[in-house]
Amino acid sequence: MIWKTAWKNVWRNKVRSLVVIISITIGIFGGVFAIAVMNGAIEQKVDATLNDEIAHIHINDPAFRDNYDIQLSVDQPEQTIAMVRNMPGVEAVAPRTVITGMANTATKSAGVQILGINPESEREVLQLCQTTIPGTGDFFDAESRYQLAYIGEALAKELNIIRYRIDESMLDSLAKREVPAEVLEKLVPFSGHRFKSEKSFKKEVKGVLSMKEQHEYGAVIKEEAWSFRARSKMTLTFLDKDQMQTGAVFRIAGIYDIKNSMYEMSQVLVQNEDLAALTGMASNEYHQLIIRLDDLESTKVVSESLKGKLDGLEVMNWKEIQPELAMMTDMVSKFYAIFMVIILAALAFGIVNKMLMVVLERTKELGMLTAIGMNKKRVFSMIMLESVFLSLVGGVTGIIISKALISATARKGINFASYAEGFEAMGYPAHIYPVISTSFFITVTVLIIITGILSSIYPALKALKLDPAEALRTE
Amino acid sequence: MKILEIKNVHKIYNSSEVKVHAVNDISLDFEKGEFAAIVGPSGSGKTTLLNMIGGLDTPTEGEIMVDHTNLAGLKSSALIDFRMRNIGFVFQSYNLIPVLTAKENVEFIMSLQKWNKKEKDERTYELLKAVGLEDRINSRPSKLSGGQQQRVAVARALASKPKFVLADEPTANLDSKSTETLLDIMEELNKEEGITFIFSTHDARVVKKARRVITVEDGKVISDERKK
Repeated sequence: MIWKTAWKNVWRNKVRSLVVIISITIGIFGGVFAIAVMNGAIEQKVDATLNDEIAHIHINDPAFRDNYDIQLSVDQPEQTIAMVRNMPGVEAVAPRTVITGMANTATKSAGVQILGINPESEREVLQLCQTTIPGTGDFFDAESRYQLAYIGEALAKELNIIRYRIDESMLDSLAKREVPAEVLEKLVPFSGHRFKSEKSFKKEVKGVLSMKEQHEYGAVIKEEAWSFRARSKMTLTFLDKDQMQTGAVFRIAGIYDIKNSMYEMSQVLVQNEDLAALTGMASNEYHQLIIRLDDLESTKVVSESLKGKLDGLEVMNWKEIQPELAMMTDMVSKFYAIFMVIILAALAFGIVNKMLMVVLERTKELGMLTAIGMNKKRVFSMIMLESVFLSLVGGVTGIIISKALISATARKGINFASYAEGFEAMGYPAHIYPVISTSFFITVTVLIIITGILSSIYPALKALKLDPAEALRTE
Repeated sequence: MKILEIKNVHKIYNSSEVKVHAVNDISLDFEKGEFAAIVGPSGSGKTTLLNMIGGLDTPTEGEIMVDHTNLAGLKSSALIDFRMRNIGFVFQSYNLIPVLTAKENVEFIMSLQKWNKKEKDERTYELLKAVGLEDRINSRPSKLSGGQQQRVAVARALASKPKFVLADEPTANLDSKSTETLLDIMEELNKEEGITFIFSTHDARVVKKARRVITVEDGKVISDERKK
């Protein structure tokens, strides 16, 4: 009966209860959905880092990572690779040569890390090969008489390998994509123009378009203005095994886009045989083995096992290679909990206020209930239950709405195209697929119940202090 | 059989400026089955006396024994439980729980005492029938007249089969017809089921029906008359 009465009491003053419920709903919805977006971004970042960039475990000479000394290769690479491949939990192994050098075009140059890879084994370990921008080539698939390099979009832009141009065919394409004529007219003066860099293209276009036009059509214009000449050239220079400067002209095999400008700027992949011929290293000499595991969860077990077996080599799992990523994944659940607790604490004040008004308004009724036999425990329970019901109705509604919106956006994602450069500069994708675990919803529900209970304590204690005889005298 | 003994009870309110002797050395006994009215002008101490009899207030001095149990000897939680099982209350302004139906209001105390559903249903129907509201069991207080609400309050007071019912000005907010109906119902319950009613009132209609009239003035009993 106390449960029933508490539930009915929630709806005694519908407007007031609805105000509190709606505020809880909005708070929970906002908090949960924001966390789902953040969580989606972080999960995508972790997935992308592990799948496209570093894999799960690296093996190299203990001193190699200090200054990437070309001499510090993995001892007995064939036996080590064979042993690692046979380890339980290991899905694939890829050997790499890692050299620092410079990438140059006629107009620009940039410091890069040159990775000598075997495309076949690399394909088994990383999915970088699947991120080739359509129309720019492939991941060393096509036969070529040239030495080929697979580079990132950011580096291609930096070296002016990707350029921007406005011409009649580009304007026609924009018209087909329903860009209004008045916008096209503003671009006509640039027709036939090739821009030196992305920066100059943006500067010119921003100069003629309004803010609204930039926001609405900027991404489409940039996409259509993008131009790339197949098999463009660049020179890679570096020191060979004898510390002599060497280098060669490489043609672009393809351009990858992993939405991480930092990685795209710095990592150039070439075939190991091409690199070995230039550095003087043996074709079976490698600096690093990168390992993909069957299951991410087994990372620690496998890396510990490898550490025990590989004397004289450094074994590092992804958490050791990218401690900032590890910290983020480890801290993120605590951060979410703190975030939700702050939201709920703010909402708790609304509930406390409501429940204090309840106690004040029902003084006489509470006096009557005590008089006819409701003891303190039951009075406390009734007020606490009313507060918990109030919190749960608002909280569960918020959870349902956020769950629905997360489901609705999870498939297509949310595109923060306007902020794409900022996201990519930090290594995050601008197209985010919100995601949240079921256990998080359970945690939030428990937190809501706790909030309801805590919010009821002060009002309930006030109610317990009421003297029934005095309470019955109130009007 | 004595069900209530009041022995030399005093109640003194000490405020910062004045000392009020609300109840001054009252001693009374009540037998089972009495239909008694405590009358007196406003401020005479009748409500204070009723509150002390009901265990809602404590005497400054003296003893109140309900069925040989000294209320002063009970701890707070035991006193609340004792009240629930032994004393029924009817208040001037009905004091029903507005969100519950007539049936649920009557059932409330039985639920606190963990009666089973069948027992509760039977007792509730029996009581609401006794007060003539068996056709309004699912009505909320807001849908009932004042007289009907007070009849539900009487049914609720009787729910746990108390030793006696204390009714503080039960007719003060009722019109004559409702007052008459309510008093008839209470009189019938008193006569047929032997339920003891103690009223605090200054309503002449209640006084007329009462078989014992205790007059209180300035905190003292000035007369205690039993009608034949």
